[in-house]
Formats: sequence, C-alpha cells, structure tokens
Amino acid sequence: MEELAAAKPVSPVQPASEKHGAKRRLPLDWRSIVLVLIIAFLIYQVIVPLVGIIWTSLKDVRPGDREFLSVRWTLVNYVRIFGNKDFWSATVNTIYFALASSLCAFCTGAFLAWAVDRTNTPLARFIGMFTLGRIIIPGILITVSWIFLASPSIGILNYLIEWLTGVKRVLNIYSFWGMIWVLSLELSPLAYLLLSASFQSMDPRLEEASTMTGAGTWRTLRRISLPLITPAIGAALLLLFVLTVENFEVPLLLGGRAHVRVYTTEVYFNTARTPTDWGLASTYSVALITLAMALLFAYFRLLRQGEKYQTITGKDYRPRRVDLGPWRYVTCAVCLVIVFLTTGAPLIVMLYASFLDRMQPPTLEAFRAMSLDNYREILAADARTIGAMWNSTLLGLGSATVVMLVVSVISYYVHKTRFRARKALDFLSFVPIAIPGVVLGTAFMWLYLIVPLPVIGTLTIIGLAYLTKFLPFSLRFVSTSMIQIHSELEEAAAVAGVPWWKNFYRIYLPLLRPGLMAGWFWVMVHAYRELTISLMLARSKNRTASVIIFDLWENASFMGLSAFGVLMFIVLIVLVYVSHKISQRYGIQEQI
Amino acid sequence: MVVIEGLSKSFQTRTDKVLAVDNVSFEVAKGEMVTLLGPSGCGKTTLLRCVAGLERPEQGKIMMSDRVVVDRDRDLFVPAHQRRLGMVFQSYAIWPHMTVYQNVVYALEGKRMSRSERRKLATDALEVVKLSELADRPATRLSGGQQQRVAIARALVGQPDALLFDEPLSNLDAKLRIEMRTEIRKLQKRIGLTSIYVTHDQSEALAISDWIIVMQNGRIVETGRPTEIYRYPRTIFTAQFIGETNLIPGKVAGIDASKKQVSVDTSVGRFVGISIGAAIKPGDKVRISIRPEDLLLDPPLAEKSWNRIKAQVDNSAFAGSVVEAELRCGDYPIHCLFGRDTDLSPGIELSLGFSPEVCVVLPDDGSFADDSQTKPKSDVEQ
Repeated sequence: MEELAAAKPVSPVQPASEKHGAKRRLPLDWRSIVLVLIIAFLIYQVIVPLVGIIWTSLKDVRPGDREFLSVRWTLVNYVRIFGNKDFWSATVNTIYFALASSLCAFCTGAFLAWAVDRTNTPLARFIGMFTLGRIIIPGILITVSWIFLASPSIGILNYLIEWLTGVKRVLNIYSFWGMIWVLSLELSPLAYLLLSASFQSMDPRLEEASTMTGAGTWRTLRRISLPLITPAIGAALLLLFVLTVENFEVPLLLGGRAHVRVYTTEVYFNTARTPTDWGLASTYSVALITLAMALLFAYFRLLRQGEKYQTITGKDYRPRRVDLGPWRYVTCAVCLVIVFLTTGAPLIVMLYASFLDRMQPPTLEAFRAMSLDNYREILAADARTIGAMWNSTLLGLGSATVVMLVVSVISYYVHKTRFRARKALDFLSFVPIAIPGVVLGTAFMWLYLIVPLPVIGTLTIIGLAYLTKFLPFSLRFVSTSMIQIHSELEEAAAVAGVPWWKNFYRIYLPLLRPGLMAGWFWVMVHAYRELTISLMLARSKNRTASVIIFDLWENASFMGLSAFGVLMFIVLIVLVYVSHKISQRYGIQEQI
Repeated sequence: MVVIEGLSKSFQTRTDKVLAVDNVSFEVAKGEMVTLLGPSGCGKTTLLRCVAGLERPEQGKIMMSDRVVVDRDRDLFVPAHQRRLGMVFQSYAIWPHMTVYQNVVYALEGKRMSRSERRKLATDALEVVKLSELADRPATRLSGGQQQRVAIARALVGQPDALLFDEPLSNLDAKLRIEMRTEIRKLQKRIGLTSIYVTHDQSEALAISDWIIVMQNGRIVETGRPTEIYRYPRTIFTAQFIGETNLIPGKVAGIDASKKQVSVDTSVGRFVGISIGAAIKPGDKVRISIRPEDLLLDPPLAEKSWNRIKAQVDNSAFAGSVVEAELRCGDYPIHCLFGRDTDLSPGIELSLGFSPEVCVVLPDDGSFADDSQTKPKSDVEQ
C-alpha cells in the first residue's frame, strides 16, 4: 500500500492522479492512528494481565497494597510452592490426567474420523454431523450428567447394575479414571474435527501410486498414509494435551471427591478462598502458562512440518474410501455407541432427571411421579436463574459481535497492509492461546483491583476477558477469508479515489462475510457455554448460566440443576438455529 | 499386450447417472504406445483408471498378457496392486516424506529379491531418468520436471507388464513438456514397454504415439496412426480437434469410384476431394477439410487436377518460421500458412490451389464447432 502511494504516477492523466495522491495522504494517517490505538488496546488486554500475573508471583503482598507497586521482588512464593508436597502431587496429577484423557480422546476421535471419512461405513454423514453438533453442548452439563449416570450414591447405572447383579456401587465417577472417562468423551468430537480435516486434505493419488507399485492395503497404510498424517496426528495430540491441561470443569466437579487436584483447581481454590492467596494463585498460574507455552511451541513446529508435507495439486479430490465389506456394520455400531455415550446418554439422563423430585432408577413408579415442578421452581421461585440465562445470552451475542469487529480490523492490518507494526499485532492477538482460562480470570480480577474502573461484578469484565480469550481463534476464521481477497480489489477502489475506511466497509466486510459469520457463530457458542472465566469473575449480579449450574451443584440441588440444564440447552439450540437461519439468508443474498 | 472389450463405467451424481465410459473396446499390441486423446470430460482418464484397477467397471473385460484381470460376466476383478502395472500420475504423486531413492525403491518392496538387487534396480532406474545425483534429496525439494522423472523411474523400476500415463505432462511448462515427451517416447521405444497414455493435448498425442484413439463423450470416435489421423480424419470432430483445418460446407455432386474421388459443390465453387470414412452418396451434405499448410499460393499451372480458389487477405501475422494468414473466401474464413518471406497486405486477392489428395470430404454430422471459440489450444487448456 505504501508503495502504491509512493509511486510517482506516470500515466498520461497525470494531474488527476496527482490529486488522488494528495487526497490519499490523509486517510493513510488515519490508518496509522487506528493501528496505534489497536496495538495499545491489545497490549492492555493481553500483555498487562500476563505481566501482572508474573509480577504478583514475585510479590509477598496483595495487589492494592502500597508495597505492591514497588520494584522489590521476592521468590518467596516459588520457595513456598516448590517446598510443598501439594504442588508436586498437583504436577503429577495434571500430567497423568492430561496424558491419559488426551490419548483416550484422540483414539476415539481418530476412530470416528477414519470410519466417517475414509471408509464406507453406513450413516457416516449422520455420525459426522452429530459429532460436530455435539461441540456446542456446555462441558459442565456433560460432566453433571455423568455424575447422574455413574456416581456411587445416585448413579442410575449403579442402580441398574445392582438390580441386575446385586453388586453395589460398581462405578464411581468421582475417581481418577472417572475424570478421564468424562473428559475424553467430551474432547473426542474435537479430536474428530482436528483429524477429519487432515484426513480429507490428503491427496488420494499418493495412496493410489503406492497401490500401483503392487503394495497392498496394509503396506500402503503403514508406509504411506500413516507417515503422511503423522505431523497432523502429533499436532492434534499436542493440542488435545494443552486443552486437557487447561480443563477446569471436570477437575472442579469430580476432582474434589476424587482427591485429584490439578493446576487449574489449585489456581481456583487459592483465588476463591478468603482472603485470596494471590501469591500462590499466580505462581500456579505461571507454572500452568509455562507448561502450555512449551506445548504450544512444539505444536506449531509440528504444524509447520505438516504443511511441508501438504501437496495440494489444485484439483479437487474426494478421499479414497476403504471398502470394509461386512465389517462396515461393526464400525457403524461402534460409532453409534460413541455418539450415544458422548451425546445421547448425557442428554437423556438430564431430561429424565429434570422431571423427578429425587434421583431414582427408571421404574414405572418413577415415570408416574414425573412432574414439571422443577421447571416451575427454577422459573418462578428463583429470579436469578432467569437473569443468569439472560446474562449468558447477552454475553454470547455481545462478545461475538465485538470480537468479530475487532478481529476483522486486526486481520486487515495483518494481511493487507505493510506497516511494520503488523507483526506485533499478529503476535499480540496470538499470545492468548497460551493463557488458560483460570489464569485469564485471575489476571482480569487482579487487573481491575488496580485499575480504578468500576467493572468488577459486572458483565463488562467478563466480556473484556472473553475478548482476549477468543482473539486467536476468531482471528483464524477471518484471516482465512481475508487471505482469499485479492489486494487488487482494494487497490482498484483506492485508485478510483475511495477513502480507506469506506473501502473497509464496502469491500472487505461484505467479502469477509462467510469467515465473519463462522467466527461469530463460534464465539457466540463458546461464550455462552464458558464456565472457567465467568466463575473466576462471578459476583452476585453477573452470574452466567454455567455459573448457576455450578452453584446448584454445590448446593446439591440436582433436580433443579437438571431442569436448568435442559432450559440452558434449549436456549442454546434456539440461538444456534436463529443465527444459522440468519447466515443462510445472508448467503442467499450474496448469490443474487 | 492389453485387450479391452466392451468396457462401461458410469458415475452416480446427485441428480442422475453419467456414463463416463460407454462400451469401449480396443487393443494395445506388445511394445506399442497407444494414446487416449479427447477433450476434458470425455472419459479417457476413467478408462485408464479402469485399466489400472483403481475404478471398477460395470461391464466388460480387460486382459493383460493373456491374463484376464477384469471380467464382469464372471464377476472377476483383480485389484490394482496385483496387476503388475506402472502408473505415472498427473500430480506426480511423489511421496513427500521420502527421498528420491526411497520413492523409487518402495516400488520393489513387495518383490522377492535381495537388498543389493533392489538397490541395483533402483539405481539403474534413476540412471535411466538421469537423476542419480539427486538420489538422497527429499522428494519435495525437486522441480516439477524432476518430480516427473522420479514418478517415471518409480513406475519403471518394478518392470511392469504395461505402463500407464495419466496426463503426465500437463503440469509442466510448455518448453519442458516438449523435452519430456521426447524423452518418454525414446525411453518407451528403448525398453519396448506396452503403454497407454492419456492426454488432451493433440500435439503431444501426435508426437508420442504409435496409435491414437480419439474419444468423445465416453465413446471411441476413431483410431489410427498419428499420420493417418492427421491427414485423413474420418469425422469433423477429429479434423477440428487434431491440428487446425478449414472446413467448407457443400453438397456431393458426383462420385468417381475408380479414383475414390468425390466432387463437392460449395458456394465458392466445385472441389474434388477424397473420401475414406462413411459411405456418402450424391446429394449428401458434407464439409471439405483442408489443412492450412496444404493451401499453396500461386499453384503451378501444370497441375491440371488441382482445385483452385481466390481469396482476399483479411489479416496476416509474422510468426517467425511462417506467416499466418487469415483470408476470406466468399463467406468462409480461410486460415493459411505461408513461407516466412511472403509479403501480404490486407485487401489483396490471392489465388490458391490444393491437390485433391489433401482435400478430405467429411459427412456433415452436425458436429461442426465454430473454430474460434471451442478449439482447445494445447497451451491454454490446463
């Protein structure tokens, strides 16, 4: 762009072009101002909280204390932590828990991706759709419904096993393996999503070439297909590992009774106790960030290697499907069982429980006693539940809109201008990917104890934290669309004398619509279901639906929780449906 | 030797069934190179993939070296990896996680032989395609032409019964393409490998093949040696698809059976030509086809049997070795190639002549396509 402005016009219509050149100087300045503002905002949103956490970990006084701002540091928190048995057991727990559940999730997801995308398993489309659709269900609902299914005291499966065999309390979800079971079921749709993309982008000619040399299915799989997707597999495993390290819901709800404490819960309990132990919380946060950063570094190296292997030929191809013969019914059955375990069983048990007055096995008696009392209670007696639902909806819609606006401007600077600062912009909007939710929550709480803005206890503080959290992923959505827009489109408009901001509004935004819609949708769903940050920042007025679920769980009012969970799920479905309709409508308009 | 009998293959799209290969039969003699030539979507690649074993035909029979590999009547289908074939793909399909040498030696892995034997064969194959020095280079760090050579070495190394080429040169630039096709041809002749070659580029097909099979809409239009098919096309489709030609419509006036000559009345005069294709009778609608290089400027008066026409110069362009001229004769544009020293100014009238031998009379089956729009140019179509 700068080159364009700097180039001396040599066309025969020189006077006119010179006029344009003079006109263009002013918008160029505006662009720099906006750039500086955005960078400043991102530093405030990303770097300040991060530095704050590290700063606090080096202090033995609370934020807000006068001593706190002085540049005298101490390693006392680190000494406290490293000398503590709890820290080391939390470290071991975190790693074991993350390793086991990411491996299980990976295997399930890999099996689904292989069966759906690379074989002639019947119902493949249905299974794929269901698995992807499952991602919208809030994690805390899944965790709670597995408590209903397999808790030693009220678990329905335990009732059934006792009724069938007479053995009591066989299953215990409040255990290390129970936590792994729930988390791997929860993450397997994501593993499917990560792997199915790389399964589909593989050129089937590479396998056909192997077949033509006389290699059978097995040798082709072992020597060609597997090595080719190894980087993708490694990357998926690492990303799953990071997500399991950062997971909060499962250790929070199950880890307490299972006596399995991990980093995330340590951060939470040290923040949630009064008085808050800022030193310990932030030191655990630093440990968590260090682990996440190291893993993400490895992840992106693997990803780059995977790109090296990609041999895109420009021809659109369908992946080759293996004919499984009669085995395809077996794979289909296994897939359906997985879909049932990840989606069906939790939803059914939640719906079932929401009509009961106490948890009991599904007998005729239980069905006779069913009523809508729980719903009545939740909706009428307790006004704050409706408020929480409204809070979540507002946060979902609001943060999605704001995030997408900010991100589209960032993406424009990063991909379509040549400012040197655009690299910094790219980096700043990428850093949050390494900040786990608990850390972000702690950091924002800390930030507004120092910054004198009255946002603590409002939705704004949660929204601001979400803005940081969803930055990296939503930027991806927009950038893929942005890269496809040829700069000449904008240059043509610029040559025609249209100012920069009008270009952005009239040319980029409409062309970015598919990416923007997808990103908006993604942020909306994730902000609606988010628990970690909203719980860390929760006060009485700004509780979200997920936080209410947690409250109800803490008060052991399981029946009310089920009714609330069902309502929350319905609101989410309505939101998804409406936004899908809207995006479809825009899509049609685009074609005309 | 490869024999194909009554092969059919269709694809199910969302709305209907498309017959990609429609009852095709042909034979490839041992050591010969046969090209399947046709516009994109004519079914040539599907046909090749059926031979390779990568697609299952619905009907028909395929035999290779007296071994039946496909017979739908007996429900016999030998899978691709048991057919002893070599194949070169359009996208090269070089395995990016292996070196050049590993790519080639992989093709020998299923064979019973010692390690040193394998090594020797692979090295020899790389020698043949002149890539010995790059053997240890990662395969992705090669240029397009070099990757193509790796693909050829890989296809050759297992000493297959036949070699299949699926548009192997269409991803290379024009100059390299001509170089590579000469090399492929030399190699194929030297080793004496039975080959089937698929392309949409008519000049490539003419240069490389022993036989050309012209395909359209899943069917074989005609089969012949490159010279035959160029000089004596049997259909308007072939005449237009292979090389350039001038087509003038007319009616058959008379047939001289003894000399196999046909006289045709057109709006620009009566011409005498030859007919080799379908039987035609007086009164039939036909088109005569004359190649641009067969029209001679100021023909010798001694040649009494020659056809003569007068044409105005519309435009001419100097193209280095020749002068390309666009003429007009009555309502018809005539394309001509003259010697490079010919000086033509627009508007002047030329007298041209051509022998009956180069004037091919083709039955008008309605397949005439307006030259300027539908003619596939070898360099343009990718």
